[in-house]
Amino acid sequence: MNLEKISYLFPIGLIISVFLDGSLTQMFAPHFFTNLTSVESRLMLLWLVMAICYGNVERIYLWSIVAGIIYDLYYTGILGVFTLILPLMVYITQEIFKYFTRSFLVVLLIYLIDITVLTLLDYWANSILGFTSEPLTMLIGRTLGPTLAYNLAWFVVLFIPISSFYREEF
Amino acid sequence: MQKFFLNKRLVYILIILIIGFLMTSFSIAVRNNRQTPTFIQQFGNDASGMVDRLVAYPMAGAKNTVGSFGDLLNTYKENRQLKEQVENIAEKDAENQTLRKENQQLKAQLKLSKSLTDYTKVNAYVLTRTPSTWQNQVVINKGSLVGVTKGAAVLSRKGLVGRVAEVNKTNSKVELISTSNDSANRFAVQVTSEDQTVVNGLITDFDTNSGELVMGQVTSKKKIKKGSKVVTSGMGGKTPKGLLIGNVEKVSDDDYGLPSKIYIKPAADLDDLSFVTVIQRNDD
Repeated sequence: MNLEKISYLFPIGLIISVFLDGSLTQMFAPHFFTNLTSVESRLMLLWLVMAICYGNVERIYLWSIVAGIIYDLYYTGILGVFTLILPLMVYITQEIFKYFTRSFLVVLLIYLIDITVLTLLDYWANSILGFTSEPLTMLIGRTLGPTLAYNLAWFVVLFIPISSFYREEF
Repeated sequence: MQKFFLNKRLVYILIILIIGFLMTSFSIAVRNNRQTPTFIQQFGNDASGMVDRLVAYPMAGAKNTVGSFGDLLNTYKENRQLKEQVENIAEKDAENQTLRKENQQLKAQLKLSKSLTDYTKVNAYVLTRTPSTWQNQVVINKGSLVGVTKGAAVLSRKGLVGRVAEVNKTNSKVELISTSNDSANRFAVQVTSEDQTVVNGLITDFDTNSGELVMGQVTSKKKIKKGSKVVTSGMGGKTPKGLLIGNVEKVSDDDYGLPSKIYIKPAADLDDLSFVTVIQRNDD
């Protein structure tokens, strides 16, 4: 896709995906938050990872910071957590991606690694700020597992639409 | 030359990290100390809220369409059960009216114009929920423009769900009662024991494994029946008296064997909120 078109479609998609995360969480809250599971929707990360692997987006760090600020401001009210984590995820993804050629499986694995790192960093930040006192073992069983499974499902569903969106194949 | 660039990059990263940490500590200070966030935060929140409505309303519409189809299948059974209850309601309603009138007259005699149980309501719609395990928070579509204030109690149809944590012009954040935030304001609650004395305490914790609230700081060893109703006591802060929290599930001794911990099953479903009511106490 040409750069000019991407330069406004990418941010729009990113912001929509940030708000979709919240709406999906609200919609499926009875299924997401039970005694044994806790699912975190991460569509915005999917959009970022796909943009890094398939699109050629200018100023992706800036947009990831903007998305992080919106997330922090609107969802948590604690500024600075996702504002720092999201650009870091972009950096990590770009570094890993240097050593691979793009394919469904490679992008999938990078995405899963990203979610794991993001969930751990978010947990770490929240435990420092006093929002949780849950032990790390609980986090892995209760949050990380279900979160990976849920986001994997969205990845499988959205991989072809988003990758063909960037390659302009529809 | 190479080394110079490396150093420059390091400095940038350090500056960004420091700005990030400053932002975090600043926003926590604002959240804990101020009635409303700073102008820039409010503006950002209101703008985000506007954009979010474009996403949230169609999603809610889709959910309601699917949900109403499911409701249709249960309607017949529900209707039969409800009919039996309706007959009792009319009777109770009449009784309530008489009692309220009597209460008003008694208050007038005592020259009590305001009491702990008086409050006004603001109805709100839940826009979105924080996609995080650590913050049990929802965003509602009413803010300071219609008189929502920080610290006000929030009810669902069945019972208390939380407290307003941040107020913007057109939306507010509600921290659910199931939060494990150390600095969250606690609800002062009371329950009536078997010999009709009132036992006071605080909601101190939420047990994620069983989904029960924990009432701690209980100072009395009076026996409490399972299933007794726990309500807010109206002591301290902005919560009126008599809002239902839930029913007593079990009573156990504290870790040191002194006062007891009371486990409460919340009356409201904390994970299925679409409409909520913000309660403003009006005696202060």
